[in-house]
Amino acid sequence: MKKVVILLLVSIIVISSVFANGVVEEKDSSKVTLKFWYTYGDGEEAVLLNEVLPMWEKANPDIKIDCIRQDGSQYHQMIVTSFGTGNGPDVARIDITNTASYANQGGLKAVSDYPEFDSLKDGFLEGPLSTNNYKGSYYGLPLDTNCKVAVVNTKILKDELSLNEVPSTMEEFFAAAKNRDTYSLNVSGFGDWDLYPYFWLFGGVLTDENFTKASGYFNSAESIAAVKEMIKLHNDGIFTIRDLDGSVDAWDGIESEYAMFFEGPWYNFQAKAEMGIVPALIPTYEGRSASVVGGENIVVFSTSKYQDAAWKFAQFMTSDAVQEAMLKSGQLPVLKDMINSATVLENPVWSVYMEQLATAKARIPSPYTSDIETLWKNCITTIFVDGVDVKQEMDKTALSLDKILAK
Amino acid sequence: MVYRIKNYSRRDLNGWRYCFPFVLPGLVLISVFVLFPMIFTLRIAFSNYQIVQGNISFIGLENFKVIFTESNKEFWYAYRNNFLYAIVTVPFIVFGGMVFSYLINNLKRGGSIFKVGFYLPVITSWVIVSLVFKYMFNNSNRGLVNYFLVDVIHILPNYIPWLLRQWSGNAAIWLMGIWKNTGWSMLIYLAALQSIPEILYEAADLDGASTWQKFRFITVPSLKPTTFFVLVNMIIGSFNVFLQVMLLTSGGPNGKTSVLQYMLYDRAFAKFQFGQASAVGLISSITIVLLTLIMNKVFKLDNKEGAL
Repeated sequence: MKKVVILLLVSIIVISSVFANGVVEEKDSSKVTLKFWYTYGDGEEAVLLNEVLPMWEKANPDIKIDCIRQDGSQYHQMIVTSFGTGNGPDVARIDITNTASYANQGGLKAVSDYPEFDSLKDGFLEGPLSTNNYKGSYYGLPLDTNCKVAVVNTKILKDELSLNEVPSTMEEFFAAAKNRDTYSLNVSGFGDWDLYPYFWLFGGVLTDENFTKASGYFNSAESIAAVKEMIKLHNDGIFTIRDLDGSVDAWDGIESEYAMFFEGPWYNFQAKAEMGIVPALIPTYEGRSASVVGGENIVVFSTSKYQDAAWKFAQFMTSDAVQEAMLKSGQLPVLKDMINSATVLENPVWSVYMEQLATAKARIPSPYTSDIETLWKNCITTIFVDGVDVKQEMDKTALSLDKILAK
Repeated sequence: MVYRIKNYSRRDLNGWRYCFPFVLPGLVLISVFVLFPMIFTLRIAFSNYQIVQGNISFIGLENFKVIFTESNKEFWYAYRNNFLYAIVTVPFIVFGGMVFSYLINNLKRGGSIFKVGFYLPVITSWVIVSLVFKYMFNNSNRGLVNYFLVDVIHILPNYIPWLLRQWSGNAAIWLMGIWKNTGWSMLIYLAALQSIPEILYEAADLDGASTWQKFRFITVPSLKPTTFFVLVNMIIGSFNVFLQVMLLTSGGPNGKTSVLQYMLYDRAFAKFQFGQASAVGLISSITIVLLTLIMNKVFKLDNKEGAL
C-alpha cells in the first residue's frame, strides 16, 4: 500500500513537472519576451500598464514586455545580484547615479553604438542625457527627470513670518524666520540629495568642471563658507536637520511648523493645496538659485539575449507619446520639445519644476558614487555632530575625493 | 588478517549502499549551498572578481592589503566592534538569562506570562525591533531615551544624537543585542533548571541555606554545561551581528560602528568590491573557528559530560 502511495505521489510530481514545462514550451517561440524592471509607484505603474503598454503591443506584437515592479529599497542590490546570476532584466529603469557604476562593471550595453543614437541624442535635455555618459560612450537614455523645488506653507509664511508671498531671496526668508521660536526650514539628513542644494545655494563647489579634482574646490573658501552658513542657520534655530535634531519629518512638519523644505515632484501638492502648501522656485541666495538633478535612465543590460529588442523598447519609452502619457503621473519629460509644451507650462506644479531645472546641478558622475556620497556624508556628519574644524575636515575630504576621482 | 579486512570492507560497503540514499539529499544540499559558496568565496578573496563577465584573476593578498591599510580604518573598527559586542553583551545575556530563569522557575504563579514576555523579543523581527530602537534613540524629546534623561530626570542638559556618535551608537547596538537575546538564554536555562534534582535544594533547606546560597552553590554549578553552551553560541553569534547595525547606524559615523558582516555587505553590494568582501568574510570565518577552538580548549568542552 505504501509503495502504491509513494508511486502515485512521484507520478503526480513528474507529470505536473512535465506539463508545467510543456506550458512554457507551448509559448509562441517567434515572440520575444523582454523583462522590464522598474520601481514605479502605483500611479506611474497604472499609466504604464493601462496606457503605455497597449501602445507598445499595438506597434510591436512580436515583442512582449514582462513588467516587473521591484522593491525600491533593495533595487540596487537586486541588480547587483542579477549581474552575478545572469538572471536579470533585459531592460530597466535605473537611478541616474547608478548608470556609470553599472557601466563600469560591464553590465550595460553602450547604446551609443547603435547608429540611430546620434540622431536621437539631440532631442534630449543635456543635463539628463549627460548622466548616461561614461568614458565617452552612452549607456542608456534619460527616461524621466526631476529636481527639488521649495515646498512652501504660505499660511505659516503669512501668520508667523509676516511674509505675504513666497520670498524671492533666502536673505529675506532668513530675516523673517530669525525671530521665530521654532525651525522654519527642514532637511531630512546629511546625504547628497538632501544637502547639495544648500551647499550649492550658499556658494559651495564640489569639483572642477570636468569632475577630475576636488582639492581647491571642495575645500575652497567659498565651500567652507557655505558649510559655515549651514551651521550658522542651524545654530540660529532656522534650519533643522531631522537626523541630527530628531525634528519632525518634513512632510508632516510642513503642515504644522515648517515654512519651507525642498522636495521632488512626488510631493502631492494637489492634496495639500487647501493647507496653503504650494511649489515655488528655491529662493536665491546672493543672487544664485540651486537645486539637485534627480531622475532615471532606461538602460539595456549586456546580459540580455534580446539587446536589439530592448533598445527598441528603450527608444519607445522616450518617445513623445510615452513621455506625454507618463507626465500625467508626474514623471517629468526629458525631451527638449516637451519642456515648453502647453501641458507642462500650464500646470502650476510641473512648470515650477521645469523652470527650477535650469539652475539644478547633477551630482558627480562617477562609477564610485557610493564612495563619494559616503565621504560627503561622513564629512558633514563629523562637522555637525562632533563640531570639528570645518576647514580641517573639508581639506581631509577633498584629498579623499581626489583619489576617487583619479581612479 | 587479510581475510578479516576484506570481510570488514564488504560489510562497510554494504552499509554505505543502504545509508547512501538517505545521506545523498543532505550531501547535495550541503555541497551546493555551503561547500561550493565557501570554496568560491575563498577563491575570490584572493582575486579580482568582475561579476558581470565572471572573470576571476588571481591577485594574491591585494584585497587584504587594501582593507588593512585604508585611511579610515573601517576594517579595524569593524573587527574591534565585533569583539566589543561579544565582551559587552555576552555577560549580560548569560547572567541575565540565568538569573531570570531562576526567578521564573521559583515563581508560584504567573511564570508563563514572564516566559512569554522574555521570549517575545527573540521571535520579534529584527527589522521591527530596530525601528523601535531607532525611535527610542531619536535625537530630540521625541526619543524615549532623550526625553527621559533630559526632560524627566534632568541628568543631561541637551538632547543627544545617540545614533550619530561612535560610542552611543555602539551602545544602542549592544543594548538591542542584550534585549533581543536574553530571552533565548533564559529559555535554555529554564530547560536546564528542570534537570537539577530537587533533593539538593531540600538538603540545603535542612542545612538552613538562604536563597542566595542555594543559587550560588547549587544552581550555578549545576548549570555549568548549559552556561558553556550559551557562552559559545553567543560569542560565535557576536560575529554575525548585521541587521541592527545596518538599520540603526549603517556603520556610521565614518565606519566607527561598523561590524564585519555589515562591511562585507557594503563592499559587495554598494561598492562592487567582491574580492574585498570575501576577504572580510574569510577573516570573519577564521576568527570564529579560532575562537571556537580556544573556547573548546579553555572550557574543555569535549570532556564535559552533558555539555550541549
